[in-house]
Amino acid sequence: MSFAGQMIAFTPTQLDEVRRLQALYPDPRAALLPVLQLAQEAFGFISPDVEEYVAGLFDLSPAHVHEVVTFYTLFFTKPVGRHILSVCRTLSCHLLGAPDVVAYLKERLGIEVGETTKDGMVTLFTVECLCACEMAPMMQVNDRYEGHLTREKIDRILERLE
Amino acid sequence: MAELLLMRRFEIPDSHTLRVYRETGGYQGLAQAFGMTPAAILDEVKKSNLRGLGGAGFPTAVKWGFLPKDSPKPRYLVVNADEGEPGTFKDRYLLERDPHALIEGMVIAAYAIGSHLSFVYIRGEYIKPFRIFSDAVHEAYEAGLLGKNLLGSGFDLNVIIHRGAGAYICGEETGLISSLEGKKGWPKLKPPFPAVRGAFDCPTIVNNVETLCHVPHIITRGGEWFAALGTKTQGGTRMYSVSGHVVRPGVYELPVTATLRELIYDHAGGIPRGRRLKAVVPGGSSAQILTAEEIDVTMDVDGLRDAGTMAGSAGVIVMDESTCIPEALWVLARFYAHESCGQCTPCRESTGWVEKILARILSGKGRPEDPDNLLDIARRGAGTTICAFYDGAVNPYVSYVERFRSEFDYHIHHGECDVQPGRVVTGLETR
Amino acid sequence: MPRLTIDGKEIEVPAGENLIEAARGLGIEIPYYCYHPGLSIAGQCRLCMVELEKNPRPQIACNMVAMDGMVVHTQTPKVLETRKSIMEFHLINHPLDCPVCDQAGECWLQIYYMKHGLYDSRFVEDKVHKPKAVPLGPHVILDAERCILCSRCTRFCDEITKTGELGIFNRGDHSEVGLFPGKVLDNRYSGNVVDICPVGALTDRDFRFQVRVWYLDTQKSVCPGCSRGCNIEIHSNVRRPHHAQGRRVARLKPRYNPHVNDWWICDAGRYGFGSIDQGRITFPQLREGGSLREVTWQEALALLIDRLRAYGPDEIGLLASPEMTNEELFLIRRLAETLGVKNLDFQIPPREPGDEDDFLLRADKNPNTRGAEAIGLWPADRGLDAWEMIEALRREQLKCLWVFHHDVTRCGWPEGAVLEALQAAQCLIYTGSNVNGIAERAHLVLPAATYAEKDGTFTNFEGRVQRIRKALPPLGDSRADWEILGECLEALNAGPKPTRPEEVFRALAHAVPAFAGLTYRDLGEYGLMLREVAHGASR
Repeated sequence: MSFAGQMIAFTPTQLDEVRRLQALYPDPRAALLPVLQLAQEAFGFISPDVEEYVAGLFDLSPAHVHEVVTFYTLFFTKPVGRHILSVCRTLSCHLLGAPDVVAYLKERLGIEVGETTKDGMVTLFTVECLCACEMAPMMQVNDRYEGHLTREKIDRILERLE
Repeated sequence: MAELLLMRRFEIPDSHTLRVYRETGGYQGLAQAFGMTPAAILDEVKKSNLRGLGGAGFPTAVKWGFLPKDSPKPRYLVVNADEGEPGTFKDRYLLERDPHALIEGMVIAAYAIGSHLSFVYIRGEYIKPFRIFSDAVHEAYEAGLLGKNLLGSGFDLNVIIHRGAGAYICGEETGLISSLEGKKGWPKLKPPFPAVRGAFDCPTIVNNVETLCHVPHIITRGGEWFAALGTKTQGGTRMYSVSGHVVRPGVYELPVTATLRELIYDHAGGIPRGRRLKAVVPGGSSAQILTAEEIDVTMDVDGLRDAGTMAGSAGVIVMDESTCIPEALWVLARFYAHESCGQCTPCRESTGWVEKILARILSGKGRPEDPDNLLDIARRGAGTTICAFYDGAVNPYVSYVERFRSEFDYHIHHGECDVQPGRVVTGLETR
Repeated sequence: MPRLTIDGKEIEVPAGENLIEAARGLGIEIPYYCYHPGLSIAGQCRLCMVELEKNPRPQIACNMVAMDGMVVHTQTPKVLETRKSIMEFHLINHPLDCPVCDQAGECWLQIYYMKHGLYDSRFVEDKVHKPKAVPLGPHVILDAERCILCSRCTRFCDEITKTGELGIFNRGDHSEVGLFPGKVLDNRYSGNVVDICPVGALTDRDFRFQVRVWYLDTQKSVCPGCSRGCNIEIHSNVRRPHHAQGRRVARLKPRYNPHVNDWWICDAGRYGFGSIDQGRITFPQLREGGSLREVTWQEALALLIDRLRAYGPDEIGLLASPEMTNEELFLIRRLAETLGVKNLDFQIPPREPGDEDDFLLRADKNPNTRGAEAIGLWPADRGLDAWEMIEALRREQLKCLWVFHHDVTRCGWPEGAVLEALQAAQCLIYTGSNVNGIAERAHLVLPAATYAEKDGTFTNFEGRVQRIRKALPPLGDSRADWEILGECLEALNAGPKPTRPEEVFRALAHAVPAFAGLTYRDLGEYGLMLREVAHGASR
């Protein structure tokens, strides 16, 4: 199994964490989500090779790991950029201008929703309610929520991305 | 101004720390609870008329009472921090600004129901709340408030924080359980109910964050006192998340006797830019919409139910006269289509269907029979599904069309919007 | 045992039974897709909803355990309307593939639409599109658009074969059944997912585009592929011989038997019917000079009797086969007794050890070994067994060998020795259905009917006697072994030839204690166990 020419395998430390998680729950299978999150951090995204590797750690068929990975929106099955912008598109944000935010970001970044900029820096997603409606229109920038978005604020956010 | 219970620490610097929590009276409820029997705690919660604040409004003591008396299996307390209902953000505030209130509430609840292992399921997108809450749990372990022999009581409780991975349906209690078990978030067939057979096939109680944050107050001030704050059938206060076309969007804690009008105008500042109120969704997107004439209702579970809507998660979305209601409904329809887990046929197929019909109406290709078809599709599917997700979708489908029928007819007849004339809805980002 | 009322009729059912089964006991059919009695409850399709008296909302019947005093209604206006709604939801994204879909005629969307739908379609949107005509493995092909996501196939692969190849990916109406990328659905029971798929999402590659199902005739039988004796239906196409390249057997389907195979069959059995229509010997043949020429049955039988009379009992060997029915084996025993022949056996070693598993597959790839043992097709005292007969043939001590079905040139015996033996034989008689190495070398070839072309019984490895039934007339001029042997015995003055296998079975039941008291009628649908375990005669 390889990813970009490398073998898909956790480091010994990561494997320790996998075993710790599996032992933590009443059923080791419950550790699948945290281990997939670990895998995504380690390998950048979850390819079929990663799914097969994780399946082996859990004695699950790869098909069942693939089911879980494709069910949840936070598991990426394709490479993503260094920074992920997820613009909320549900009701309050939509009422307060989310479509304009999306249009502006597409223009500034030169990509469509779901795509990554050519330099690999930014991936643009639209997502459903992030439950930060009080700061609508808003988006998630990597770990943090950024709200009350205006063109100026968006410009500042993009500038600060390294 | 009514007394704040849940939000009282929010403005204090470092409110999320154990130090501040204790300085402001925190964990006294827990100490007191350990001096009571579990049955006595259950009794206080029963007297308090505390109802679930995640969306279903189910009486908390009744839920706890469903646990089997004689099962040899371990019991699990699961905290539903998978806040996802559009318009709702109160749990996020609680996790970030008063995580110890949740911990204290959890421990008391776990003690009352005999659980020694508790899971806190936090939605995957809530990274900052997750970090803050994790730190608080760490502090609690260090201080002997979690782990073994808490406060010398002999009671043990471990907490596992489990992050979600992006799926609204994991806020449904059995969808959450499935996800916790390492599977897709597919809700489970009921019966059996989680209290009888839940997580890992063991008796499980799933409670919302806010619901549990109330528990310490019920212990320290008594159930009767809590009940007296509210109506005959629902006690206490709750946090209303207000967003949309209001001057001051945010969370507001009020007794459940407060009205929607008070909340919007007295607390959230009313409608900005001198516009008129058009409609309000009072309980998260899955609640039936109310017109501007219908906001003199108390926001308790029964009050809103009697008004033809629901208290739900108390996510209040305010829409002014500039809102195109068909467009608003389409945005929600897209949400439900995107979040349908796909397990059962009526929901899986008709959420997608409804979104397509609305997209077609908005792009000027609506047909005269569309609104009635939409109502019929919704009504035929209601009550036929594995879980209440679809019923939550049906509420907006039916109420928006019924209350604002003329707007839908206008779009269909004229191929454009009468509320926002000239506005071209192009490139609809459907799923 | 709970007692409940369904549509006004009372019934008592075993504890734990669900309402679908309870209703079935009253002859009331509640429609369903995702429910299957051999799989876990999914509750996904929502078609089986019924009304319960103490419940304001309809409930799914599959997940409702019948309780004492329950009152169930399956035909109320609300139930009927709900069924219509559920049918509509199932069909809105379903492609209009009927004209090109193999499932047509046995498709549960079609069947239930006609019974419970009959509404006018009002879906005018673009349907969701998914991959079509995707081979999943050697036997199964997937059309993901047709799939109604009932999850029967995924549950089968998880719960029955425990191989977990299939999953349902994504969510909402983009949910899709499929394999993990790069994997193959090649477990040894993969064909069963085609049976349980209610629609044309999972279809048989072998049967694809062969013939429409409404042209098929069906007959009950038992698979001859191993000693398990899985119950089957033979689906034959004789009405449209211009379809399916003229092959008569279009497909095999498993038949439910709770004592043998439940609802399942292995792929080897399911797809192993080619020899019924291909490579058959269709007329009697006589070797003259170096080659075989066609003769009539009259000629062939006359010559057969002549040869059997020409040799002494010690010079003749009879090699029966565990492919033959109990009736036929009984007639061989009679033949041996009539001729005084002691050199009698029925087993030859297989070329390779057969594969076996802890589910249905048995290593013994013959359907009636137990029958042969019970009837006693062993050598009589100091008679030669199978290998000894071959050796005796080689040494020219044995002059005449009558082989039934076995291709002795392709088995576990050393080929050279066998060929020498066959070469040395003065009279090699072969009765079999397909062209093979021994048929080419025999002096007299008598074409045999296959199991699909005759009535009879097999005894499976556990001792269960099960009926096979004639689905097709014997191909060409082939005849069932029991007919050939009957003619033979009559010509040898051993009694009038039987007119049908049931006659022979009656005689068998009288003569062999293991079969005492069994009748065709009692064998019924599921067969019956041998009355006593017959020990093989000691050698």
